[in-house]
Amino acid sequence: MTHDLLQLVPEIREQWPYAARYARVNGWRMHYVDAGKGDAVLLLHGNPTWGFLYRDVIGPLVRSGRRVIVPDMIGFGLSEKPAREQAHTLDGHIANLVSLVRQLGLMRVTAVCHDWGGPTGLSLAMSNPDRVRALVVMSTWAWPRPPAEFHTRLFPWRMMHAPLVGPYLLGRHNALARRGIYLSVVDREKFRRAAQPAYDTALPDAEARLLTWVWPRWIPLDDSAPALARFTWLEQELAQSKLPAMIIWGREDEVFDAATFAGRFKTLLPHAEGPHLVTGRHFLQEDSGAEIAELIRSFLDRLDRNEAE
Amino acid sequence: MNAVTVITKPDLSGKRLAFALAEDRIGHYPEFRAYFTRLFNLDQVGLAAPGFVQAPSGLAYALVFIGRSGEPFPSGVEIYAVVDALEPLDDGTLDSDLWALLTWMIEGVGAPWTRQDLEETGRLYRIPAAPPSGR
Repeated sequence: MTHDLLQLVPEIREQWPYAARYARVNGWRMHYVDAGKGDAVLLLHGNPTWGFLYRDVIGPLVRSGRRVIVPDMIGFGLSEKPAREQAHTLDGHIANLVSLVRQLGLMRVTAVCHDWGGPTGLSLAMSNPDRVRALVVMSTWAWPRPPAEFHTRLFPWRMMHAPLVGPYLLGRHNALARRGIYLSVVDREKFRRAAQPAYDTALPDAEARLLTWVWPRWIPLDDSAPALARFTWLEQELAQSKLPAMIIWGREDEVFDAATFAGRFKTLLPHAEGPHLVTGRHFLQEDSGAEIAELIRSFLDRLDRNEAE
Repeated sequence: MNAVTVITKPDLSGKRLAFALAEDRIGHYPEFRAYFTRLFNLDQVGLAAPGFVQAPSGLAYALVFIGRSGEPFPSGVEIYAVVDALEPLDDGTLDSDLWALLTWMIEGVGAPWTRQDLEETGRLYRIPAAPPSGR
């Protein structure tokens, strides 16, 4: 149904020429793009986007000899959108990715992680290190709490997803996809013209938007948070990881600010390249997709050369 | 003036309960659960009866509380408009009433939750029912 809707929006179709593929992961129907040949690059989005966020990244990576896999998180994009809040857990979403990677037989994966693609994709990497070759992190986090001072504030963060307020603002009014992304890009006019319909259309009804207010509630704010143990584990695992890594961040990102977040990733992964700062707020792919693609391409080419020596 | 008031069960003959909004995790911030428990005496009433309120439009709304094994009660709440059985619900009226219900709830939950923060959040996200700044 959602895919049919996307077919009707020409400005989306022109930018998204990819054939829809589906896999049954962990009990759910997951949509993904699978383009190119070579070592796999797994492009992971977060809330409230879908693979479309990487539209300017996919082509250059494919042309550089990579196989690019872009799944839509269950609950977003063209993937199944469970109607029950209980269907969404952090561990469940990690298991969804594990299922996809195993079904496709992917090895030597480079996991590119943005927003909730970070906690999920990095956990996939730490729990399946034999399948992962490298990590790229962008505007995300991987430690228990708090992600940012922003996430402890009532206005607008905690109010936005408060009981009943979340279903009203983010469900009934699609506030995160309709307005939240817009506020978190640099070139808002370009975004409104070229991309806004893709995010609106993928979340057509209030019930389809469930994960937009459920994900914020999974950010640990105190010791009783259900995800606290998983984030604690993830931070410990990352601190011991020797996987090649690269950090890319939006220069104008005021929520996951570069100094705090990219800096903390650099402490966790001191061998990582970067941080490379590009034009962008939280949804930096909207402003700097081509530049991000080039950073990833050159990073992977260097890995190839290092392995060949 | 918030104009949401708790009322006794209205006459439901010739009416239907029109689904309006659902919350699976009323206790995500526990003070919200505590507010509804206190207001509708849910420790005593339990699942026996919904709570009813009247919104600014004059419509009555039923608050149906949801229980889930192993979790404090209530775990969730569903809001239904009480409307004439065969008449459609006006979406603009519903939206304004829901905003009023949210405002009433936030004021009832109390500090640190404030009406001002709710309204600023509503304006930030261009919610039509949110009042303009400086009202």
